[in-house]
Amino acid sequence: MKTNWIFLVVAFLCVSCQEEVFLDLDQKENRIPVIEGHWTDQGIYNEVKISLSKNYYDSLDQELIRDAEVFVEEMSTGRKIAFNYLNATRSYRPNPSERAQIGESYRLNVSWKGQVFQSEGLMLAPPTVDSVTWNFEEERLFREAGYYLKVYGKIPFPTNNYYRIRVFENDTLKNQREDYLLFDDAFGLRVFEEGLELGYAFQKNDRVRLELYRLNKDAFDYLSQLVNLLFSDGGLFSPPPQNPESTIRVVKGDSQVLGYFIVSPVLIRSVTLPNQ
Amino acid sequence: MSFFKSLPFFLLLTIGFQVFSQENKSIQGQILDAANLQPLVGASVYWEGQSQQGTISDLDGIFNLSVPALPAKITVTYLGYEKSVRTIQVRDLEKVQRFYLKAEDFSLEEILIQDRKGDEQVKNMEMGKSTLSIEALQSLPALFGEVDLLRSLQLLPGVKSAGEGTAGLFVRGGSADQNLVQVDGAPVYNASHFFGIFSVFNPDGLKKVDLYKGNMPASFGGRASALIDVALREGERDRLRGEGGIGTISSRITLQGPLLGEKSSFLISGRRTYADLFLKLSSNPDLKNNQLNFYDLNGKAAFSLTDKDKLSVSSYQGSDLLGLDGQFALGWENWVSAVNWNRVNSDSSFFDLQGYHSRYNYQVKFDNLENGFDWTNSLSESGVKAIWTRILTSKRTVFWGMHGQVYHFAPTDLKPAPNNPIIRRQTQGVQGLLGNAFIGIKQEFSDKLTAELGLRQGIYAQVGKGKVFQYPDNAPNPDVDPSDSVFYRKGELMQRYQGLEPRIAFRYLLRPEFSLKLSYNRNFQYVQIASNSSAGLPIDRWVLAGEYIRPIRSDQISLGAFHNFDQNRWELSVEGYYKDLDQVIDLRNGARILLSDQVETELLSGRGWAYGLEFLLRKNKGKTTGWLGYTWSRAWRQIDGISKDRPYNPRFDRPHDLSLVLNHQFSPAWTSSFTFVYSTGQAVSFPVGSYLVDNQSMPLYSDFRNENRFPDYHRLDASVTWKNPDPGRKWKGSWNFGVYNLYGRKNPFSYDFRTIYNDQVNFSPSDGEIVSARPGVVMTYLFTFLPSITYNFEF
Repeated sequence: MKTNWIFLVVAFLCVSCQEEVFLDLDQKENRIPVIEGHWTDQGIYNEVKISLSKNYYDSLDQELIRDAEVFVEEMSTGRKIAFNYLNATRSYRPNPSERAQIGESYRLNVSWKGQVFQSEGLMLAPPTVDSVTWNFEEERLFREAGYYLKVYGKIPFPTNNYYRIRVFENDTLKNQREDYLLFDDAFGLRVFEEGLELGYAFQKNDRVRLELYRLNKDAFDYLSQLVNLLFSDGGLFSPPPQNPESTIRVVKGDSQVLGYFIVSPVLIRSVTLPNQ
Repeated sequence: MSFFKSLPFFLLLTIGFQVFSQENKSIQGQILDAANLQPLVGASVYWEGQSQQGTISDLDGIFNLSVPALPAKITVTYLGYEKSVRTIQVRDLEKVQRFYLKAEDFSLEEILIQDRKGDEQVKNMEMGKSTLSIEALQSLPALFGEVDLLRSLQLLPGVKSAGEGTAGLFVRGGSADQNLVQVDGAPVYNASHFFGIFSVFNPDGLKKVDLYKGNMPASFGGRASALIDVALREGERDRLRGEGGIGTISSRITLQGPLLGEKSSFLISGRRTYADLFLKLSSNPDLKNNQLNFYDLNGKAAFSLTDKDKLSVSSYQGSDLLGLDGQFALGWENWVSAVNWNRVNSDSSFFDLQGYHSRYNYQVKFDNLENGFDWTNSLSESGVKAIWTRILTSKRTVFWGMHGQVYHFAPTDLKPAPNNPIIRRQTQGVQGLLGNAFIGIKQEFSDKLTAELGLRQGIYAQVGKGKVFQYPDNAPNPDVDPSDSVFYRKGELMQRYQGLEPRIAFRYLLRPEFSLKLSYNRNFQYVQIASNSSAGLPIDRWVLAGEYIRPIRSDQISLGAFHNFDQNRWELSVEGYYKDLDQVIDLRNGARILLSDQVETELLSGRGWAYGLEFLLRKNKGKTTGWLGYTWSRAWRQIDGISKDRPYNPRFDRPHDLSLVLNHQFSPAWTSSFTFVYSTGQAVSFPVGSYLVDNQSMPLYSDFRNENRFPDYHRLDASVTWKNPDPGRKWKGSWNFGVYNLYGRKNPFSYDFRTIYNDQVNFSPSDGEIVSARPGVVMTYLFTFLPSITYNFEF
């Protein structure tokens, strides 16, 4: 039922076709570092992944950067929290006891081959999640039949209201482009108090884990632009494709850099749906 | 201060031009088609032996001509009609002379591809102007058999399309919102149906279309690139007639006839698609309960009030509706109305007064108690335009006038359903006033050299009520909160701009059949669409010039050579142009503007330029008619914040563009048409790599925009028409069989750079187990070998 209007028109016209083609694409001469930093109040979530971009048609795994120097600096004290590369997670991780403190600003530092990349973020207070409920719904417009979850809580903040909810179904992250759940206060936040319905149809016995992040605006914008790009089909109705604007800047060196640094509290709730 | 600078210009207009007037005896007449009493526009009228000093009939077929010693013979000629010669006595000057021309009796009915004098392209002052007759339009092969005005204009040099199957026009490097599309003088804000696949014009209701892509008369303005001036047909005055057609996706009907005797007429025309019916036949429940249709209605009533006064009232209304399951709907609608009063004061003095109102609105509605909403927006433009024309001598004509416009862009309003906890979002409405005064003079310096000079002065004001946000350093930025805001009361001046728009054109006749023309044109545009997609959407946000959004300025200079051959059967023209644009806008990455009152924070502005060479060879008459057009052109934009501030090509920059149009009459019953188009592929951005972020494989794009190209576009269309050759029948029917994209060229509509699962382009991870995943490119293409059939009739 998730019908794209434009393609509904085309479907009516019964004349559109799709096929795979090979285009001779230009290739970037220098591979670009891609940094994904998470610094939260949950030790297990804190990590920095660093990889390199690759040729478009290259189907091999991303090339990881394992020899970078990575640390997060607590801005008020200047204390540096080192991140070390772990083969098991294929990422840089700090001591699990280290975590972000509410109200503190942090700066991510990544040094690699003479290049230095930085990004800052403020650790914001989390909202309140009171409960998660579920209810079986018959098929509706834009919704399949299934169990639907509602999240109830309170968001008492007048500013900096940028949120993301990640949803795991039976330990698998729902990760299609239509699965992104990003919201801000553009339409108010009463919806969160009256029950924010998640647009996923779950089945009986499903184990569902929700992670609620409160993001800084730059990270929220990055993810919004990323979703826009995922939905860009390269057609006339899409804006010209652009890379999401990285929240990370180059302070030394002449390389580009891609990616984001998220500083956020994480609220986690898990439910198991009934077996009938 | 700026107002006082422009004061002398207005005073000049107010004083008038009495000083130029002189008493001349003249004859007034009207030229009509003998078959249907329709006025013939552009017919030549001259005294015998003085063909170099004649005149042409105006929109109502009316002419005025200075009188020599009488009696004398007056000659009337019109392409495709028999010549009329009449001896005029002194007593004949007391009344209007009517000439009823009969169509020439060709052995085979010929198709005229433009309604104008044979040598007009050489001798007139117009550059960058193309006129398409509706007959020519209807003879072209069409997508789904739907004859489409705007898509047909894409076959002319200098006009580009946004892509496969779209009716948007990009004229000489300008974007689509820089074209003024008007119907009987009233603007149409969204001239397309079905997201641009069809234009809103039902060809049966049209009289003609003029496309100005270069030098525009000073009486027109308001858009930076082009004017598409569509005239609705007047009804015939002798008897009731009808015509229509039953096509593959729509049907249409037109009725016309006398209204209150032979002094007035009406014409009403309608078209509707029947997609809904097809959807109901579908076994797919997702499609079965949906609605998908559009309709057009247009009508015109014309009254000859006196021998000197003519009044016409015309209106167009069109609407699209896309509905899902009776709960979700997207609809949009144009409603355009115009009143035109044409008065012939004397044989050398004319007055035209026009009033119009144009309204466009859309609605997105989700009928659901908990999640529903109703999202609406409308905008309107009202205007009054007056033009005085005076023929001072046989070599000098002046016109002047004023044009007042009122823009009202209503708030965009998103109202949640009663139980939907989201807040209501409502932008503030904006209002603008635009006053224009213009003057033009056409002066024939010699038999060879003629000039047309024009000036147009616009004074624009954005007026309250409204609110303007203030920003630190006066630099709107989406990441910085406004430092303050200023409220304006209703009618209070918020921002003012003014611009003087000179229009200059020269024509030098090297030989009777060969001329050179030079023109310069400046235009200001005070309203535009804030969008960076290439094709328009019904919910596009129109914005008025204001404190942070300056009007677009365009300057264009063009030079052309025009040559006719073989007694005007062949026309050849070559035109070169250079256009400079300032204050064109684009959007920041991720801009959100539809429901924002701070649109200025999401906009980037800069400059643009375009240049090109247009070649057109046209055969106007004979069993075989048509044209070959070729354009070499480039279009550029340079906007800080895009493409690392370097120049880039917009998507519609397509350097090579060729179109071949051929019509051939095999017999009185059979005609055929072919069109072939070729153009360089669209300028686009392809990835230069990929990377993994947030568990997504993302295409990596260069910092520079549109450095890649789609493959070249080409397509051949063909159609065959059979009609009953018996002219005596009251019911005349014809069948048109057409094929769009005859050889099935797969012209790409889009390239999607995405992960391909299980080697199937349409496999989604939610469809089942994933065996393989790899990066790939999926091409979507439309309209390969698309046959259509249409039955047309008239009675």
